[in-house]
Amino acid sequence: MFLYSISLIGLLLLSCIVQQFLPPLSGWYDARLLILPLLVLCGSVTVSTGIMLILAFLGGFLWDAQQVLLISQGDEMVYHSSPDSLKFGYSIILYTLMGFLMQGVRPLFREGKWYLSAALTGVAIFLYLFVEYLIRGFIIGEFSLDNGMMEQIGATSIITMILSPLIFWMLFRVADLCGHTIRYQH
Amino acid sequence: MKPFNFFAILLFAAGLVWVFTLSEKSVRQIQRAYYSAISPIISKGGETEAFANEFLEEVEHSEDLEKRLEQARNERDRFKLIAARVRELEAENNELRNALDFKKKPQFDVIAARVVRKQPKMWGKTIEIDRGTDDGFDADPEFDLCVLASNGGLVGRLQLSGENISSVLLITDEISMVSARIEGTSEVGIVVGRQTTYGQTPRLRLRYLSKTAILRKGMKVYTDGRGKLFPANIPIGTIEDFEVGPVYGEAEITPAVDFTNLKNVFVITDATGA
Repeated sequence: MFLYSISLIGLLLLSCIVQQFLPPLSGWYDARLLILPLLVLCGSVTVSTGIMLILAFLGGFLWDAQQVLLISQGDEMVYHSSPDSLKFGYSIILYTLMGFLMQGVRPLFREGKWYLSAALTGVAIFLYLFVEYLIRGFIIGEFSLDNGMMEQIGATSIITMILSPLIFWMLFRVADLCGHTIRYQH
Repeated sequence: MKPFNFFAILLFAAGLVWVFTLSEKSVRQIQRAYYSAISPIISKGGETEAFANEFLEEVEHSEDLEKRLEQARNERDRFKLIAARVRELEAENNELRNALDFKKKPQFDVIAARVVRKQPKMWGKTIEIDRGTDDGFDADPEFDLCVLASNGGLVGRLQLSGENISSVLLITDEISMVSARIEGTSEVGIVVGRQTTYGQTPRLRLRYLSKTAILRKGMKVYTDGRGKLFPANIPIGTIEDFEVGPVYGEAEITPAVDFTNLKNVFVITDATGA
């Protein structure tokens, strides 16, 4: 279990690197393959709640380190009503909620029904992005719920979900190598 | 509850408290450290992305490119003739300048940079350029450096710098603010980015104008140099529409820069000549 957990953290760091090589698909709604959140989701269903929390914390922390925008705001006399940006660390909360969602189907996953978890990763990514978009809109005080946004989120969720079987296969292989049991029955 | 889970929850809660109580300075330090560590990988990722984009463009437009090549050849021959005439005029112009002892001072010291990645973040509107601390950019500047497009229009400002890569926050992002003035009027305001999604053209909004402002479509908007963030007199865009709100007037701005086709930019390293 310990070795597998360490391997998961190693994979999480590796996913930060891989993410840099995955550009948006400009021909398909600017969809993205979100490998880091996907690894957190897939990893969450293979471990206990305690490890899931640590995974969500590290995943959210790394995600915010590369995604949250912070800028210097200049003279306050001129820029008196600077818009707020998302608070660093908000992704940890969202990742944790997604992790709990994935843990809900863990008994089924351990019975070998991995495809339900794979489908759930798509749902979780969709919810994550949608909530993130709403929070951003709430903070800057502007909403535009249009088709473009829904298509972009939907396409990103689908493309990320499609990769989830591969991630599960990889996690099973890593678990075997680490002597960790994910399923009740092999 | 298992003791390990209990311990993990405590650890998680402590971590959460630590993260949410981090000062802005600490967060910036974390982001800089992360960006510096990952910048060599971003550079490689940018190269891969550029290669993939070029390849796709070439595949999509190969027939179109042949036609364009033929047109370009014809144009080239025509321009050769024009160039010969321009050289004559240039020589004449230089002679006249020398005669008048006229020296044109450059407005800014700039460094040219290539855009290596567009929109690397899911929501935030940023680009990445192939210049960084190796080119003299300060990793922890007092004020972010300003970035211009090749037409002189305002692109944004440097947000983070790695060794040979930097992240630029575009003025079209919702958290970006630029102090601006409208040409030919005494109106000043703040230009902010607007939330846009896939398929929408980037938009800007000029806020805090007076309700009685008399503005016409097509009037030019420039930076006014207030607030220390941007040098004065950089084109931001043109007025598209003007609305009067309960307290202030607001104008819709069409950016001076075509953000979808941004390939090269210029970073102002010293704006003392502005």
